[in-house]
Formats: sequence, C-alpha cells, structure tokens
Amino acid sequence: MRAALNTGRTIRQGSYVERKNSPAYREEASSLHMNRVDMLELEIEEGDHVCVRSDQGAVVMVACPAEGLDRGEVFVCLGPFANFLVDPETHGTGMPDFKTTAVTIEPTTAPVPAVKDLMEQCGGSGYEG
Amino acid sequence: MTGLWVKNAYVIDPISGIMGEIMDIAIRDGKIVEEVNDGAPVIDAGGCLTLPGGIDSHSHVCGTKVNFGRYMSPEDMRAGRTARKGVMHVTSGYSVPTTFGNSYRYSSMGYTTVLEGAMAPLEARHTHEEFTATPHQDMLANTLFDGNWSIMEAVRDKDVKRAAAVVAWTLAAVKGFAIKLTNPGGTEAWGWGEDVHSIHDEVPHFGVTPAEIIATMIQANELLNLPHSVHIHCNNLGVPGNYQTTLDTIGLAPDLNRERQSLYLTHVQFHSYGGSTWQDICSKSEEIARAVNARPQVAIDMGQIMFGRTTTMTADGPMEWKLYMLHRNKWSNHDVELETGSGIIPVYYGRKSLVNCVMWAIGLELALLTKNPWQCMLATDNPNGAPFVKYPEIIALLMSSRFRENERNVIDPRTEHFVPLFAIDRELDWYDIAVMTRAAQAKALGITRIGKGYLAPGAEADIAIYPLKPDELDPAVDYQQVMAGFAKTAYTIKRGRVVARDGEVVVEGANSTIWSRADVPPEYDLNQDAEFVKKFEQYYTVRMRNYPVQDVYLPRGLSIRTEASL
Amino acid sequence: MKVEDVVCPFCGCLCDDLVVEVDQNRVIGVENGCTLANEKFMGDRRLENPIRKEGRSWSDITYDAAIREAADILIDADRPLLYGWSGTHGEAQSVGVHLAELLGAVIDNTSTVCHGPSIMAIQEVGHPGCTLGQVKNRADVIVYWGANPIDAHPRHMSRYTTYADGFFVKEAFKERKVIVVDVRKTESSAVADEFIKVERGGDYAILSALRAIVRGKRDLIPPKIAGVTREQLFRVADICMQAKFGAIFFGLGLTMSPGKNKNVRNAIELTEELNRHTKFTISPMRGHWNVYGSNEVFTWITGYPYAVDFARGIAFYNPGETTSVDILRRGECDACLVVASDPGAHFPRACAEHLARIPTIQIDPHVNATTHLATLQIPVAVTGIDAEGTAYRMDGVPIRTRKLFDGTYPSDLEILSKIYARVKEAKGS
Repeated sequence: MRAALNTGRTIRQGSYVERKNSPAYREEASSLHMNRVDMLELEIEEGDHVCVRSDQGAVVMVACPAEGLDRGEVFVCLGPFANFLVDPETHGTGMPDFKTTAVTIEPTTAPVPAVKDLMEQCGGSGYEG
Repeated sequence: MTGLWVKNAYVIDPISGIMGEIMDIAIRDGKIVEEVNDGAPVIDAGGCLTLPGGIDSHSHVCGTKVNFGRYMSPEDMRAGRTARKGVMHVTSGYSVPTTFGNSYRYSSMGYTTVLEGAMAPLEARHTHEEFTATPHQDMLANTLFDGNWSIMEAVRDKDVKRAAAVVAWTLAAVKGFAIKLTNPGGTEAWGWGEDVHSIHDEVPHFGVTPAEIIATMIQANELLNLPHSVHIHCNNLGVPGNYQTTLDTIGLAPDLNRERQSLYLTHVQFHSYGGSTWQDICSKSEEIARAVNARPQVAIDMGQIMFGRTTTMTADGPMEWKLYMLHRNKWSNHDVELETGSGIIPVYYGRKSLVNCVMWAIGLELALLTKNPWQCMLATDNPNGAPFVKYPEIIALLMSSRFRENERNVIDPRTEHFVPLFAIDRELDWYDIAVMTRAAQAKALGITRIGKGYLAPGAEADIAIYPLKPDELDPAVDYQQVMAGFAKTAYTIKRGRVVARDGEVVVEGANSTIWSRADVPPEYDLNQDAEFVKKFEQYYTVRMRNYPVQDVYLPRGLSIRTEASL
Repeated sequence: MKVEDVVCPFCGCLCDDLVVEVDQNRVIGVENGCTLANEKFMGDRRLENPIRKEGRSWSDITYDAAIREAADILIDADRPLLYGWSGTHGEAQSVGVHLAELLGAVIDNTSTVCHGPSIMAIQEVGHPGCTLGQVKNRADVIVYWGANPIDAHPRHMSRYTTYADGFFVKEAFKERKVIVVDVRKTESSAVADEFIKVERGGDYAILSALRAIVRGKRDLIPPKIAGVTREQLFRVADICMQAKFGAIFFGLGLTMSPGKNKNVRNAIELTEELNRHTKFTISPMRGHWNVYGSNEVFTWITGYPYAVDFARGIAFYNPGETTSVDILRRGECDACLVVASDPGAHFPRACAEHLARIPTIQIDPHVNATTHLATLQIPVAVTGIDAEGTAYRMDGVPIRTRKLFDGTYPSDLEILSKIYARVKEAKGS
C-alpha cells in the first residue's frame, strides 16, 4: 500500500524521550498509526508488524489504528524509526520534509528493531550499559 | 594595581570647571588621584584633547528588542562584520551590532558608560545577560513603567506613595536604574491595538491619563530620591504636529531637585514636529528650545537622525505600527504583559526625502538653540535616529556651520522652507561638546556621586584621549579632522586601564552594572503586600519568586542606595 | 524536602510553578507538572560516567581523559560541527559559541529542525508577537495552526490560553473561541470551537484564502480550498476579525510541511493583515525548553540565531548551506560535538550515518540514540535538576532554572569551559 508518512510529537514519545533504549520508547517510536480501512485492506490487525519503505530505506514498525487519519495517511512520532525513511534533502531551508514522506507499507513477520539496532545499521556501535 | 600617569593632556572637564588646560592626570587603583610615584607608566597625551570617558544617556544596545532587531535582520548583520582578532571577538552588524560589536565600537569612540534606554522588567534578566557581554562600558538600564498596571492603579487612586513603592520594588527586583515612561498609557492601549493621542486621553480600562501618570511618577521619583529623574519618551512620537504634546509634557514638570532636572525628555527631535500631515511637516525646534531654555527643571537629548540605513526599535509599539504602515518593510512587535510593549522596523533615512531632511535639521536645531549645553545631550536614540558611530559626524555638524552649509546642497532643496537650521550660525565649541557627550549626562543621570563624568581626584579613571589638538584646529573649517578624531581615540582608559588604542580594543573588559536601590519603610515593602502578591500571581505568567534578577547576573553590580522619603 | 516554584526544563512553556519533592540526590515527587514534567523529573536515568568507544566496544574513562580527548578531536578537525544546545542553559551555550569562534567551527542548534524556517520567515517579514501573559489576560480568540499542544506542550492551554483566566477574560473557557488547523484530528482539535482540517500541503493556500477574505475579497474564494469549505473560512475569518485580541500559535505543521518558511511567512502576513482590523499576535510553539535561549545567545554573540559558520573568521549564516542537516548530508564535517540534543534520533538516517563515520562527541546526561553513533560521551548534570542557569521561554521571557540538589555530575558549563580552555591553550591564544 502506498501512503504519505507524517511525523510529530506525541505525549508518550515525549515521556520516554530521555530513555530511548527503553522498550516503552521503542514501542511508541515504532507505532505506525493508520486508518482502519487501510488496515483492513492490508489484512493486518493492531499489533501486526509492517515493513515501511521509502526511497531512503525500510524499517519494521507496528501497525495501530488511529481515528484522526484519512486513508493513505500514516503517522509515526518523530524519532529514529520515522527518520529511517526521511530524505535529508532540505531544498535550501535546512529543514527536511519530515511531514511528507512517500512510503509503501506491507505486512511482515520480521522483528521490530531496537533503537540500538537502527543506529548500528547506520554504522554505530551499540552501547549496552 | 600599579599607577598610571597621563601627561601633557589638553583637558576639558566641565564638571571640575577645567576649560582646556594642559595638565597631568594621576591614576591609582582605577581612580584619579593627586599623584602617583614617578615610576608609574606614562601615557604622553601630546597635547591632545582629553575628556572624561563618554557617557551615552540614551541608547538601545542590550535586551529583548535589541536582540530581536539582530535576530530578524541578517542583512544588517552582514553589513558590519569583523573577524576575531587578539582579545576581540567576532562582531556582526551595522545598526544593531552584536554586544561585543557595540562595546568595541563605543570603546574606540571613548565611551565608557552607556544607559540602555528601555528595559521591560519582565525581561530584565535578558538585558543583564547582554550587559555582561558588553564588557567595556558600565551599563545602566532605564526601566519601563509606562503601562505598568500597579502604577496605573496607584495613579487612579491618587496614591503617589504607592506608586513610589511599586517603583522601589521593581527597580530592586530587576536591578534597574531609572524610571522610563515610553508613550505612557499608549503601550497599554496598544494591548488592544489602540493608542493615546494627547496627554489627556484616557487609557482604556484604567481611567487614567498620560498626564496623570507622568505627574505622579515625577513625584514618586523624588520621594525615592533616585539618582536620575523620570526619563520620558513623550506620547505621539513621530506624528506631525506632536510638538504641542511635547510642550504640554514639559509643562507638567515641576522643579523638584536642585542637583539635576526633574524630567528628562529623550530623543526630542522625534517630538518637535509642526504641521498636520507628512506633506506640511515642519520644524518646531524653536518652540521646544524656548520651553527648555525657560525651564531649568528639564533636560533633553537630541535624538538626531542621520542619513542612511538603520533599525528603529522602541517600547512604543503603536508608533512602530504607524511607521510600518509608511515603510512597509518588515515589522516586529512584542507586547509585555502588565508592563509595556515594543516594536522594531528597519528604515532608511534619505537625503531625497523632505520629511527625513526636516527631521535631520530639527535634531541639530535643538542642540544649537538650547542655550545651556547641560540641558541638551548628544544622542541619536541609537539606533533609531542613526547608529552611534555617527556621533562624530554630528559633533562636526554642530561645530561647523560650513559643514552644515555643504550638507544643505545635497539634501532636498525644499528643506530650508520648513526649518530654521540654515539661519542659525551658532557653532559649538570643544567645551560644549565635552558637556553634551559626558558631563551633562553624568549630571543628568546623577552618577557624579559614583565618580562618573569628571577627572578630579576621587573620580573613576574613565578617560578618553582623542587625536585632536584643539590649539591647532579650527573645527569650523577642519570638520573632517574633528570627525575622524572623535571616531577613534588614541587611548580609551576605563577604570585606570587602557582598554582601547587607535580604534582597537586591547584587553578583555570587566564592566559594572549600575542600579538603583531605594530603601523604603516596611509598610511600603510590596513583598509583604497581600494585594500586590495576589495580583502578581493571578495575572503574570511567572511566579513572583522567579521574577527578580538574581545577583549572579550582575557579576560586578554597583547599587546606588537611597533612603526613600516615605 | 519540597522545593517550590520549580522551573520545568522540558518544553518551551517553561512552567515555573512546579513543586518538587527531593530526597537527597533524587526527585521523589512532582506537583503541578504535566506528564512530560513528571517523566523528566521522576524518570531520570543517567549515564554513570564518561564512556569511550575503541573499535566496536565501549569502556569507561575519567572526566579528565574525556575532556582531553574531546578537545583533541576538535583541535584536529578541519571542519567541526557543534550541534544541539537547546537542552542546556544559556551560560553553557555562550561558551559553546565562543568555542566555535575559536575553532572556526559551524555551530547550530535544534531550531535547524524545528523553527528554523520560522526564523527565516521572520527575517523576511518580521514577527508581531507578545508575551504569553498578554494572551492569558486579553485574548478572546486563540488559533493553533499545525500544532498539537495537548501532546507537545501539555499545559499551554491551561496556563496561557484556552483555560487560563485572565484580567480581561474572567471565565476563559466560556469567553474564548479556539480554532485549530491541522491535517489530522488530534487531542487538541477535539477541544476546538472550529477545526479546520486541511489537506496535506494545503496550509499555504488556506492562509492565502484567509488573507484574501480579511482584505475583503470574498468573491475570489472558490467553494473549496485544500479540502476546506469557503463557508468555514468565511466563518473563521469573521471570528478573527471580530476578536478583541487574537493570538495565533503555530507549530511544526507549518515549518516542516511543503512551503516551510513560506507557510510561516504567509501566517505572519495574515496576522499583519488582521492587525488592520483588530489586535492579533502570532507565536511559534517552541519545543525544547531552552531552544529559544540558544537563538538568543547565538544572536547577541554572532548576530544570527542558528547555523553560524566561523570558518572564514567572521560569522557567516546561510540556512540550507550552514545548517546541520545539510552539512551532514553532504558529508562535510569531519568531527561533531553534540550537546544536549539527539541528532541520531531526530535527523534523517543519512545524517546519522555520517555521524557514525566521523568522531562524534556527545555531552548529555542520558544514553540516547546518538550515544550509539558517538566515539565519546560525557554525562553531565541536568539543568533544572542538578544544575542551574538561564532559559528563555517560547515568548522570550528569561527565567532562571533552579538547582534542586547538589549532584555528583559536572554541569555542561564546567565541561565546556574545560574543553574551551584546552583548545584555547592549544591554539595559543
């Protein structure tokens, strides 16, 4: 399914923002909010994993239904999951297009990575301590 | 600290009555003394003009609106930039330089003390942070009371003592120096997009008039025995025909203080307009000067404009809106809850604009027509009329009618029909300039008591040595040299230390912030006043305990303490 | 021990009425705070000591060694980037700017990915704003545009707008109209009197339509614009024009959506237009508690609010070129100092990849996404908990945060001052 990815703050994201390696933060940052009808069409239920792909890459997230979104619109709180998909081009403004990333979404059984895993994929070395 | 000699100096020190004598000045521990030992280092002034450090009694250099002027104006930042060099930090900006830019440029011009013209109490902490980053001048902050709700309530209740208590509490809380009224009543009205148009208009919802606010504050100021007088930016700034408002305001000033004026009117050029529209605007400097000449209880500063680009910034929010409607460039506004307002727009004063030419003439006329130089100080309301780096040019214009005549040829030819400037042949002398750029300011601000503005033993060793030899120069003719000489000192000495030489700052600065603290009897202490505390917590958005500026913001704070007569 | 009038170092609201209970080196209770404040004070888990990466493994090092290494990395760099700053106090930011000046570095703050476009717009057309108390005491119309305060600034509505009683607005909830403009329904849109649901990317067109209506050109407006009916726009314009005092607050829905700075410019020009009819103000909803402070400090020292490049000695500013995302995207910087922010989490992936390629030093109390990318992390005290200093609220009001207890961590200011001193010594100036 094709969709437009929007990002923004959520209160849960803010709550765990200083504990980015916690399960709670991962859960919030990897929640893909989407229209229920779109979920039906993808034949997924709340909690199912989805692979979200843009021209920048792909990342596994967890689908969850949201009331305020139209069909074809998805929302993920700002954070490393959403940013795995965002193009760094700023069109001379310094600001990437954080709120309008074209993505495709398909069901998957792959696991949802931890923040550390995402950073390792970027070339980092996970700190466990 | 070791001593220092300044020898062979051509000294003009109006406060000490020294009118141009070759003398030696001894310095020890930051003060001027009778003598120091022979081994002390010597600066040979070589007969050059030596004055007390310059004092600017009205300039916008630090705080919320000034910084917003920078923030919104990358074009101005690009218009004046220097790289890091020696002890000097990077600077940016032409009309609103960065703090270090202001400080270095003032220091190169021999200025050692600067009063920030408008500080909103709620945002005072910001002003003090920037003061600390303006290291080569001792700084003072006019504190805005023009739309202060507690003041207006006291005025409505005809309770001068209550007004004095509010002032005392506020100045102590925000480490402010003096009472500033900017368009009194008008800034509160601007909270609703309105303004007041005479000193007798009522302020919406508060049932008081500007005249009542001004009269009450003059009384309250003297009850607190504050060093400076009330410092007013009159209503109707920039409006054709506003000279009547200015005369009305001058008429409100009683003579209450033997040491200084009872009312200081700032940037009076902007308040001396005749006519009724931009088409027939004309100079009313003669009427204003006549009123000033007749009343020793008032002092003014010029508010000179100079041609070129600059940025206007003032607490007078409604005025900036009106100006924006004329210029249509860009407009910022920032109203401050329970206290005041502010606005910023960039402007360009052109020689081809008749209105601008009239304004230019009026400022000079005020200086030339005010008989007593102690009553008219040199300032541009930096940067509103022009950046302060234009002061040397203004000095030259005042000292040379030939220079003024030359300018006449390059401005709008109709100007002379609207202004008396070219009929005035007065040329100010070195003494007048020394008065108008430091001595009068020290007296008007009431800071001679802390050793400012003169060079006698006991004074602070703030000294400017200009590469100008008064005996060898005729300022009426050599005005270009006068201009160059006042632009860059040979030496600027601050608290006994050479801080700038030939236009370059040579040490890290360590300024003081000067503030006023009036001790009031316990029954006037508003910290104990349940009504005041309750209203504070209800209507402000910061807690009363988080409002006062902590001592840590004034690393070298210097308070002038007074005993209130309450 | 209970400490009163505590300032919350989470969002730009900078609420200063919290009561925090402290037991020795630990916060054990928070009153008056929102969820975010509670988590900030109560959920505080720190990195225990400086850590350093060798190969792919991490080891603990001393503060002295960490400071030495950080300074050496910066001294060795040809084009260092000093990024972050919004989560620390002004005094530390100030040292950061002087460090950048000394190094000839680029220094940038988190505005670069929040209200940077707002700053660009303000530099074009100015900013008619006010302090938040002005809104609380006077406003009868509130507009939230592309902002969701209930999630991002949870007490904004109760302290300053919708629910805040003021001097001229005694019963705020009854007397105030609230308009929310967003591309999606949110908790905030649910409390609005008018919710304008805009199609994605439609903000600019809606703003232009409102400007036209306020100018008296209703006949130009087509029946529907970006998913919004003409009737609703007329209604909203009337509410605004009839307001005694209106206040627009806008969020990243304008700055990050197509149009970016031009969206904000249009919103400011709508505000200006409304001022010809009544009193209207506009304010960005600044996110980090002291992001506005970083703009202020950068500005009085360098002349520019963010994205300042000292490479040529003078201060140079050109968003799109000297902004962090662009510098990282181009792979331009060869070392990065991250202070009080988390670009690993909040920058596009390509930027994170570059941070992993170069020596990245992080000064931050917590383990975050950037930690995994860094070569060195130095933990510090949290300003507002165990360090104090100046912060600027979203409306420019400066407030001094409180220190609740003497902790064991050094402050950002101490660490940065030591790095500065070492760099200065090495540079021989």
